[in-house]
Parts: sequence; C-alpha cells; structure tokens
Amino acid sequence: MNLKITNLSKTYKNGVKALDNLNLEIGTGMFGLLGPNGAGKSSLMRTIATLQKPDSGSIEFDGADILQDQMSLRKVLGYLPQEFGVYPNMSAESLLDYFAQLKGISSKKERQEIIKQVLEVTNLYEVRMKFVNGYSGGMKQRFGIAQLLLNNPKLIIVDEPTSGLDPAERHRFLNVLREIGTNHTVIFSTHIVDDVKELCNEVAILNGGKILTKGTPTAVIAALQGTIWTKVIDRESLEENEKKFNVISSNYNQDNTLNIRVQSTEQPDEAFVMAAPQLEDVYFVALKKDTVLC
Amino acid sequence: MLGTIFTFEVKRWLTNPSFYIYAGLFFIFSLLMMGGALGIFDGLTVTASSNTFVNSPIALNGLINGLSTFTYFLVPTIIGASIYKDFKYNMHTILFSYPFTKMDYLLGKFLSSLFIVILIVATIGVATYLASFLPGINQDLLGSYSIVAYLQIYCIFVIPNLFFYGVIVFAIVTISRNISVGFIAVIVLLFIDGVIGGYTRDADNRYLAGILDPSGSEALSYYTQYWTASEKNANLLPFESVMIYNRLLWLGVAVVIFILLYRYFSFTQTALTFGKSKNVERVTKNNFGGITRIKLPNTTFDYSTKNNLKTAWNLSNIDFVFIVKNWVFISIVIVGLLFILLTSLTSGVIFGTSTYPTTWQMLEIPGSTFGLFINLLTFLFAGILTHHGATTRMNHLVDVTPTPNWVFLVSKFLAVVKMQIVLLAVILIAGVAIQTYHGYFNFEIGHYLYELYFIKLINFIIWAFLAFFIQTLFKNYLLGFFVLLVLSIGLAYLPAIGVEQAVFRFNSDSGFQYSDMNGYGSSLPLYFLYKGYWFMLGLALFGLTLLFWTRGMGQKASARLKDAKDRFNGKKALLIRLSLIGFLGLGATFYYQNNILHEYESNLDNEKAQANWEKKYKKYQNFIQPRITAINVDIALYPEKRDFVASGTYILKNKSKQAIDSILINYNDFKTEVKFAVASKLVSKDSVFNFDIYKLDKPLAVGDSIVMNFEIKNEPNSIFRSNSPVIGNGTFINNSIFPSIGYSDKSELTDDDVRKTYGLKPKERMANPTDSIARMNTYISNDADWVQFETTISTAGDQIAIAPGYLQKQWKKDGRNYFHYKMDQKMLNFYAYNSANYVFKKDQWKNVAIEIYYQEGHEYNLDRMISAVKKSLDYYTTNFSPYQHKQVRIIEYPKTLGQFAQSYANTIPFSEGIGFIAAVDDEDQDAVDYPFSVTSHEIAHQWWAHQVIGANVQGATMLSESLSEYSSLKVLEHQYGKSQMRKFLKDALDKYLQGRTRERKKEQPLMYNESQQYIHYNKGSLVFYALSDFIGEKKLNGVLKAYLQKVAFQDAPYTNSIELVTMLKEATPDSLKYTIKDMFETITLYDNNISNVTSKKLKNGKYQVDIQFNVAKYRSDDQGARIFKDSNGKTITYKKKGDEIGLSSLPINDFIEIGIFKQDEVKDKKIEKQLHLKKYRISKIDNKLSIIVDEKPTEVGVDPFNKLIDTNSDDNRRKL
Repeated sequence: MNLKITNLSKTYKNGVKALDNLNLEIGTGMFGLLGPNGAGKSSLMRTIATLQKPDSGSIEFDGADILQDQMSLRKVLGYLPQEFGVYPNMSAESLLDYFAQLKGISSKKERQEIIKQVLEVTNLYEVRMKFVNGYSGGMKQRFGIAQLLLNNPKLIIVDEPTSGLDPAERHRFLNVLREIGTNHTVIFSTHIVDDVKELCNEVAILNGGKILTKGTPTAVIAALQGTIWTKVIDRESLEENEKKFNVISSNYNQDNTLNIRVQSTEQPDEAFVMAAPQLEDVYFVALKKDTVLC
Repeated sequence: MLGTIFTFEVKRWLTNPSFYIYAGLFFIFSLLMMGGALGIFDGLTVTASSNTFVNSPIALNGLINGLSTFTYFLVPTIIGASIYKDFKYNMHTILFSYPFTKMDYLLGKFLSSLFIVILIVATIGVATYLASFLPGINQDLLGSYSIVAYLQIYCIFVIPNLFFYGVIVFAIVTISRNISVGFIAVIVLLFIDGVIGGYTRDADNRYLAGILDPSGSEALSYYTQYWTASEKNANLLPFESVMIYNRLLWLGVAVVIFILLYRYFSFTQTALTFGKSKNVERVTKNNFGGITRIKLPNTTFDYSTKNNLKTAWNLSNIDFVFIVKNWVFISIVIVGLLFILLTSLTSGVIFGTSTYPTTWQMLEIPGSTFGLFINLLTFLFAGILTHHGATTRMNHLVDVTPTPNWVFLVSKFLAVVKMQIVLLAVILIAGVAIQTYHGYFNFEIGHYLYELYFIKLINFIIWAFLAFFIQTLFKNYLLGFFVLLVLSIGLAYLPAIGVEQAVFRFNSDSGFQYSDMNGYGSSLPLYFLYKGYWFMLGLALFGLTLLFWTRGMGQKASARLKDAKDRFNGKKALLIRLSLIGFLGLGATFYYQNNILHEYESNLDNEKAQANWEKKYKKYQNFIQPRITAINVDIALYPEKRDFVASGTYILKNKSKQAIDSILINYNDFKTEVKFAVASKLVSKDSVFNFDIYKLDKPLAVGDSIVMNFEIKNEPNSIFRSNSPVIGNGTFINNSIFPSIGYSDKSELTDDDVRKTYGLKPKERMANPTDSIARMNTYISNDADWVQFETTISTAGDQIAIAPGYLQKQWKKDGRNYFHYKMDQKMLNFYAYNSANYVFKKDQWKNVAIEIYYQEGHEYNLDRMISAVKKSLDYYTTNFSPYQHKQVRIIEYPKTLGQFAQSYANTIPFSEGIGFIAAVDDEDQDAVDYPFSVTSHEIAHQWWAHQVIGANVQGATMLSESLSEYSSLKVLEHQYGKSQMRKFLKDALDKYLQGRTRERKKEQPLMYNESQQYIHYNKGSLVFYALSDFIGEKKLNGVLKAYLQKVAFQDAPYTNSIELVTMLKEATPDSLKYTIKDMFETITLYDNNISNVTSKKLKNGKYQVDIQFNVAKYRSDDQGARIFKDSNGKTITYKKKGDEIGLSSLPINDFIEIGIFKQDEVKDKKIEKQLHLKKYRISKIDNKLSIIVDEKPTEVGVDPFNKLIDTNSDDNRRKL
C-alpha cells in the first residue's frame, strides 16, 4: 500500500496558501502528521479524502490517480474528520446501518454482523440504541471510528481525533487506532506531539502547507542528537537569552524560573547542559527553521 | 444597550447581500405589477383599462397588502433568525455573559429585524409610486397620489401585521430554536386568514369575520365592500369600529405574546423540546483503556447500479421518515386537513343550500390552496434534504463513501415524492370523512385515486425537479425556498406581460375538467402531453442538479461551474441530452400546432381583431337584409369522435320596403358553405372575419322570399386541438354555430379606454329604448323575428338527442339514433341541441307533458323540479296567460359547459352543477330550495322572453330576467312562505351591491340596464318584489297580464321597458308614484337605521316601544357618487347635538316599514314572531314612534326585511 502525493498546492479564496507544492509518500502503518493549528493538515487530509480538489498536483494510491478516480479510493477509505455531526434523533445502530449501505454492503445480515462488531470494538454496543447526537465527545469520536471501520478500509485518515478528549478516552481511542494501524495505512494528524510519540511508525511535520521534516520518530530524533541544550534561567533574562541563542522552547518551573532549550551544534555557554532530544524538539526545531526562513 | 444592539443588528443586515436580494425582488415585482396595471405592457398584451384609478387608496391598499403577504415568508428568516443565529453559531455562550438585560436583548433583536423587514416592504410602496414615472403608462388610470393613503396602508395594515406575525414567529423560533417552526406559524396564520375569508361569502358572518381576521382585510372590506367606482376614487381608507377592534385585538395578542416570551426567556442554553425526557438515563463509562483485538468479519461489497438503486430506495425511506417526523410537515398536514374540513362547510353553497358531497366536489375543495401547501413543503424539504448533510455537519462522513451522487439525489427526490403522495392521501381521507359525516356513502375511491395519483401527482413531481435544482444552486435553503416561491407565483403573472402560451410557462398545461356526465372528457391526453413535456425538462433539470451537486467542501460559483463542466459526461450527459431533445421536440410540436398549423390568437390579437371588425364592417350595421322566417336543420353528432356535420335551410324574406340585392353572411371558424336557391355571386369573401357578401343576380323584391342552404362541419379534432363543441356525453350546443345574416355588433370592443387606443369613439353598450332602428330587432337575434322551426338530429346509438319542438319520429339506422323534431308554432330564432346517455322521468300537468332527462345517479331533486314546473305553470297560467306549448322538458348537461339553466322553447337545458345534486334542507329557513327556484325561473322565461321579447335596447332584459325572477319568487313564496324570501332577498341585495362595485362602465337604472346581471337579476328581483309589496301582488300581476296581452308574440318594432313602466305607473297610486321613479327610473338607495329604542311594560300588561330611527335617501350617478339634491336642488339635513357631520337626504315623503319582533321557540327552533309590522309615511330624517304591542318585544327594525336598497342593512334592526 502506497500513497504518493506530488506537488500538491491549494490556495483558498481569502488568499491563504493551505498547501504549497507539497510532496509526500506514505506506506503501511501509522503515519503521524504533526503541525500547529492552521498548518494545512486538515486541507491535506480533506484533499486525500476526496472532499476537496487541489489547484494542482496529484495523489496516487496504489498507482491509481485518486483525483480522477475518486470512487476507487472511497471504496477503501475510512475517514474521520476533525469535527462532524450526525442526523439528529437517530441511534448509533441505525446510523451505522445507513453508513454501511452507503459503503456498499448490500446484505442486511452482513450489515448487522459488521455493525455489531464495530460497536463492540469501539465499546458502544451498550449504547447502540441511543441517539448519537446525545453522545458525549468521546463516545462520538468512537462512533466516528465505528463508522470508519464499516468498509474494512485500507486507507484511514483521522484528523485531530484526540483534541477535546479526556485522558482515559484519549488513551482508549489511541489503542483502537493503533490496533487498526498494524494492517492498514493510517494517516493521523495532530498538534499533540505525545500522540505521535506513542503511536506512529513515521512522522512528518507540516507547516505553511509544506512538509518540514519526515522520517521515523527514532530517526528524526537521532538527527538532533548532541544539539539540544538546556538551562534554568530567571523569567527576566528570557528575552536576553532569546537574542543570544536559538531558543526553541521554554517552560516554567514551579518556582517561577524557566527551563529553556536551545539548539546548537556546540555548547552555547557553560550554564547549558546537553539534553537528550525529544520528538518535541524536532517539532519546534522544524517550526523555528521554517519561521526564520520566512 | 438596546440602541447598541439595534444599530449593530441593522448594520449587519445592511451589509448582507440577501437583504438587497429580497428588497430588490419586491421592488421589481411591485414595479412590474403596478406598471402592468398602468398599461406599460399594452403593446405586449391586452390594453389595461379601468374606470377606477389604479392608485386610489383602496387599490393601493389591495396591491401593497397583497404583495406584503409574501414578506411574511421572510419573517422566519429575518425576525425569527435574529436570535436563532446566535444559537446556531454558538454566539450565545459569549453573548449571554455580556452585561445587557433580557429586555435589551429581546427588544433589540426583535425591533432591529422588524425594522429590516419594514425596509423591505417599504420598497413596495416606493415602487408603486415610481411606477407612475415609467414610460408608456396610461395617465387616465392615474389619480393623484395621496401621502395620507400610504400612511394609512402602512400604519393600519402593513406594519401592524408584520409586527403581529413578527412577534409570533420571533417567540416561536426563540423558544424552539427552529426556524422551520416559524414557517409553520406563518402558514397557520395565512390559513386562518383563508378560512375566515371563505366564511364571508355569507353576508351574515361578515361582522365577526371582520373582527377575527388577523390581517384586518375583512375588517376593511366590512366597510368598503359596497364601494362604487366613485367612492373608490374619492375616499381614503375608513378607520371605524370593526377595524379598530380588529387592530386592537391582534396588537393585544401580539403584545401579550411578547410579554410571555419575556417572562419565559432566560439566558439558558437549551431549547425547549418535547417528549425527550423519557430517553434520559445516566450513562457511565466502563472498560477503560482495554486493548481489544479487532477482527472485522468479511463482508462483500456491491457497488453495482442495481444495489445503488436499492440503496437509494432504502435511503429515501430514512429521509421520508425524517420528513414525516418533522413538525413542519405534521403541522401542515393538520392545517391542511382542517382547511379542507372547514372549507367544505362553505363551498358549493348557493342561497344557503349546499350540495351532496360528491367525490368530484371533494376533489375540488382542496383547490389551489392545498396545492400551494404541497408546493411549499416540496420547496422546503427539497432544500432541507439537499443540505441535510451540511446542516447536521455529517456531510464529510457521507461524502467520502463510495456512493455516487445520483443515489443521494434520487433518494432525497423519492422521499419528497413520497411526501407528496402522503399529502395527496390527506385529500382522500378528508374527502371520505366529509362524505361519511354527511351520510353520503358513494365513496368512489377509484376516482379519488385516479385523480390524485394518476392525474395530479405528476404536476407536483415536476415542481420537485425544479425545487431540487434551485436548492442545489443555493447554499441557504431558505433563500432557495424564497426564490422558488417567487418563481412559482411570478409564473402566474406571465400572461400579464403577454406570455400566454402554456408551452412557455413552466409546468403549465391545458387543464382538465371533470363532470359526472362526461367524466374527464377529452381533456386528459393533451394534459398528459403537456405534463410529459415538462417532465422531460424536469429530467434535464435532474441531470443538471447532478452536475451541480455539492460533494465535499463548498466551492465558489466559478469552481462549481467548472466542476459541472467536468462532470458533464457519460450517463448524466446522455440523460440531459435525451431529455432536452424530448423536451424541445415536444415543445416544437406544441409550437407548430398552436402557432404555425393554426395561427395563435393572443388576447392582444383578439382585441385588435375586434377593433378591426368594427372598423371594417360597421358600415353594414343598418344595411337592409332579409329576415329568417323558417329554419330546417339536419345535424349529425358523433360523440365518439366529437364531430358534427350539419346542413340546413333558412327561408329569407324581404320584410323591408325596398328590394335587396346583397346578402351578408356572418359565420364561424367551422367549414361553412352557403348556397342560394337563386342565382347569386360571391362578391366579397373574408376568411379572417368569416364575413361574406353575396350579390343576387335578381334583387329580392319586397315581400318575396328565397331559400338559403348551408352546410357546416368542424375541422377534424386532434390531440392538440378541439375544433368542435361536441363532447363524448352531454353535448350542449346552440344555434350560434350556424351562419347568421348581417353585421353583428356583439363582438365590438365595449371598454371606452380600450376603444380609444384603437381610435374608436366611445360607445353605449345598448341603444336608447326609443331608438326606432334598434327596436326593429329583439335583443337575442338581429336577423330574425319569429320563425318556423324543424330539425333532425342523429347521435350515437346509446344517446338521446333533444332540440326544441315536438318529436315527430324516432328511428335507428346504422347503430345511430335519429330524432325528428318540429315546433308547431312560431318561436324565436334561439334553439339548442343536447345529446347524452340520458335516463328520463315523466309527469303531467293538465295537458302539458313534463319530462326530465338526466344523468343516472342524479335523481335527488327530480321531484322538486317537477313540483316546481307544476306550481309555476299553475301560477303563470292563472296570473299571466296560457302556456304556449304542450310540453316542458328539462335536460341536464355537464357542469363543465356552464353553471346555468337556459330556457328555449319548451326545452330547458339545466347544468348538473346547479340543482341536480343540491341537498335541500326543508327545515332550514335560511336555505333556499334553489332547484325549485331555478326551475321556476326558467319556466317563467316561457312567458318573459318567449312570449314577450324586448327590443335590442336598454332595459330589454328587465322584461325577461327581472320579470322571471319576480315570477319565480312569487311561486317560491306561495310554496314555502315568506321565510325563504328573507334569505333570497338578502342574497340578492348583497349581490346587487357587490355587482355595482365591479361595474366597469356605468351603472344604469333598472329600466335602462344594459344586460347587466347584477341589475336585471339581483336588483330586478328586489324591485319587483318591493313593488308587489307596495301596490299588491294582484295589482302588479294584473298589469303584467295586460302587458302580455298587448305585446306577446308581437312583430317589430318590439316592446321596451318604457311601455311596461308606463303601465306600472298608471296602476300605482299617486302617493306611491315616487317608488316607480326611485326603483325603475333612477338609482336610489336608502340609509335607514335604528338610533335608539326602549320598551316598557304598561299597567295593562302590554308593552310600549319607543323607537328613534333615521331615514335617508339618496340617488347615485352612474359612477356611484351620492346625490342628495333633488331636481329642484333641494335637500334635507339633520344634525344631532354633538355630531360633527350631519345627515343629508333627498326630500322624502316615503312609506317605510317598521317592525317589532319577538323570538319564539317552537320545538327547539327559534322562530321570529311579528308583533307589529306597518308602513309609516316618513318625511324627515330623524323620527320617533311610540308603538304598543301585546307581548314583550325582543327586536325592532326599520325596513326590517330589507325590501329597500340599503348599503348597510345590519343597522336596520336593533335588539332590545
């Protein structure tokens, strides 16, 4: 299974360049797409999911041009948008039956079987007769996974599924996703670095419609080995440090001092201690570079 | 804070393009309507004309209020949405934490959005004013614009109504957070309006309707219903008690609703919902973080078209359930059902008597209103379903499934069609319920199903095609809904700008009609051809809808257009191409048939032709011509093919005092050939006007006769065109299909404004009674006096054919029936043919045979009709003169050909719609037995028309129609007593007063009437009945008898109204001579009322009643202006202390009836008992009387039975 994106560009009416000559190749497994809000993650995912047409570029899935032949992709696609609603006053069971029909399962018996299965997987079986529009956020996201599984998809696209979930829900959600990801291609976008850290075989960092970094988590972290330095400073001296050093992140300690992390091939000064690079560092480094370039 | 919210909201709207779309639509629509009324389209369609100003206050009120009704549909989207959108965009969570009060918020939102709607309706008023500056308007139709009128219209009606509608919708949408529910409110209110409007047909209900009508229009018409042309032009809108009560009532209701809303409303964040509570259950989570192995069962996927179709069907059921559970739908079904049930109570009622609830009537009751309901729901749900995914934000889940677009469209389309099917079923259920309620069990379910689903459904389906197309183009379904509404209403106005042909007007057709006698006749094939034509367009629209179907993210218009181009391929392209080919092919065929094969005559063409006819041939009007003295026609009717062939002979006699060398033949569009038995030449042939001139080789000498032969048949009928008046069952044709002699002025233009555009001089509709040339003709024929008549008719083997005369012979040949009729004495040149599969009933009165030929199943009133024939013959032969025939035949004909009965010599064709199915209630004093009275009227014509026939001058129809009305009233009175008179006369008064408001030219006094129905029927019956009351029935009948003896069967010059009125005057005592002048010679009205009344019990147990009452009388000119001065310039006045305006009257010395009544109960029925009834001579306006009666009175009246003509008859009586 292979998804190949070539020279993809999209500019919106208001002038925002959501995708900027983007190139990307994705194979089997979990693919994490990391980027800040407004980076173009959703635009990219919607474009792959055939909901939106790019201005230029091409997308191929297993050799088929999905911008031309959308149906062939839709047959193998499972998509969970960042935000969705459902027809009101319909139970999970009847909505899933509705989706199962849309996904081409003609036999009623088969529909019933698979619906039962996906409800169990997502732990919604107990509440299958309840109206989905009355579900809590986590249940609704699980319902989103349930509908996505109905056509046994090869390509799964989930757009920021964990935002807004409580820790337990998030955990459970990621487990289910991981389970699916073993045999399928799962593209998973998030702005939460931890999500990716825990799950993904491969990760790309996206900003301003461009891929900044791409690789396995281990590889991208390894690339920063020996270049991340940390120091504790006063709040007052932050600006000074930022001027002097390439500060990639800073965060408060409880005593109101700050931890700053700096990227540098050499030790910036004696007060800095070398730190083991984190995926987060990769993310910030990538964004920082991108900003400087602009 | 209120001001801030207000300005913020108003600014927001003023920067929103939809505001300008709405305002622009109303502006343009109003401009065109007003411009059209003022004649800007005169070159495209018929000339606009009116005897009243198009911009008079009352006319402007009608136009502006009519158009502003459509703004009610904007109320949910503007006023309703004002708070709703805060919820929709989750603004309320932020807004509600701001420091403003509930009142600020509610009022600010409401007033600002109300203000926006008022701005939109203001464009209507501006447009009606600006229209007067358009080029090409007819200045004669324009009076002066009055700013006060505009203020009245907006302040009394438009703005209060918007306020009322606005408050209700605002409250409902705020509480329910559902704009659709706002729509329901609007529809329910409009429905109430409609139902109340239906009840005003009966004058007795108008006061109550005036108070209850939410729009206030019935309150206004309570005062303006009888306004004449002059009053319409001169008067501002009244603002009197009923209107004030009405406005206060509804404003009060609105304010109360607003206060309730204020008290209910809190800045909480949940909407009011119903019936949810039972689903509430505590949900807890379990099984946290567990790892499950996912093993999905193997499923088979089927992406075939067959499975897609199945999916479409299944999905349509889900969408259908969604519609059916929707409150908009449920409410409209309930409202629609109520509408049908309530309408059924008033529809089809004539003189207080209803008809049996036959199935065709049940199918007619829902009428266009229910059709409108179905269309509204179609427009609405097409939009809601099209955008269902987007509004619920489920579209991205749905759009990525491998289901092609057409499956979604088909499923939503099917859901809407299923909804239409259910709505049509409502008609069936309501119809059967009404029939059951009335104990009528002939349900004809097959007929219901046939009409509703076979004939009508396709009409709504075609609308659904358009609805989906439009709704797909618009993102906002409410905007789409509004556009569809404007389109569907605007289509009705296309003929007003000259687009008349159905082929150019979306979803127009040739219509269909049903009658018990002839079923749907031949109307259906062409109807279906038209529907097929529009269905083709619908299919093309369906294809286009697919091209523009939104999938995924919304796009800008240019991108959608590009997408549509990209999608134009494969089956979609084939569908669009094929259906467009079918559409254009059929359209071209229609066009060819209606415009090339047969020249299309637009209304404008007809108008021009009328003008040209007059210009070209008027010179022959008084050209001396021989007269028809004998007629012998041989006519064959072919009901199966709807053809006829006739050949006939006229004997033409030169009755003039000079030789005649040219004969002018006037004929129809039928193939007509004319030959004379003597040598002649065709010297002028005009195939446009069908007017030929023959020159006789040897002039026809004075007193000599010649034979004229003619042959006539119709062009073959086709599916596109009917060229013959013959129908499958129930043919009714008269002698106008045959050639006539000389010029006829019947088809001249009569409207002086229109005549002016064609350079023709103004003309009178009829000649002066003393015009000696006009008096040489009767008013029904200008080429014959009395004729000998003989005819042979043949028809289909299962039909009976009838014509005037007596059956001489009847035979069968080649499976066809032949009848030979011959009249044994002279009769008018006025005869008809009827043919149908009749059954008949026979009876006898003395030596006169009575026969009724009727449709099987219509037996209900045959005995009443026979009894009416007998009673009438009794009365007329006793009081007037002998009956000239030996037979009376009543012959039923289909209601599709008319709703009247017509008297020919010994033969009376009688529509199935007026009497055969009447359900007469003998117990009900307020219900006239009209099968009886109509029969009686037609029998009376055997005297008043067939014995006495007026000359072709003003007042002629008084001698036939008014006298027949009088005669039948007397028969009815002798049969049923005075109680039936009250309803009949009250109805006649109402119809007369209504009729004169619609007069287009001029109102004439009764004896000079120009065949004006409201005068010769309605005023005529009032006047003659009053005269018989004044001088006595015997005396009046004596005059009529003497008049008959003098003029019956006379030859030219024919009698006129002056001759009768002179005799009446002679018979009237001097003290009453003024009645002749008032009732016959002038237009005179009274304004009588009781101003005060008290009663007290006397010591002897009797009661003294003190009555104060006003009597005033005035004349009216021909435009309805009131005149209070007599010919000597005298007038009398009376001014009560404290009144600003006094009363005026003509000088009077009149007899006015004063009555005192008591309500009695006899067998649970209220019966009015007369304690006192006497005419008093009255000579001043204010009068006092003291009368002693034996029992305790309950009601007092001046002219209590409305024998005198009075525009306000309600104030003639007063309860004690």
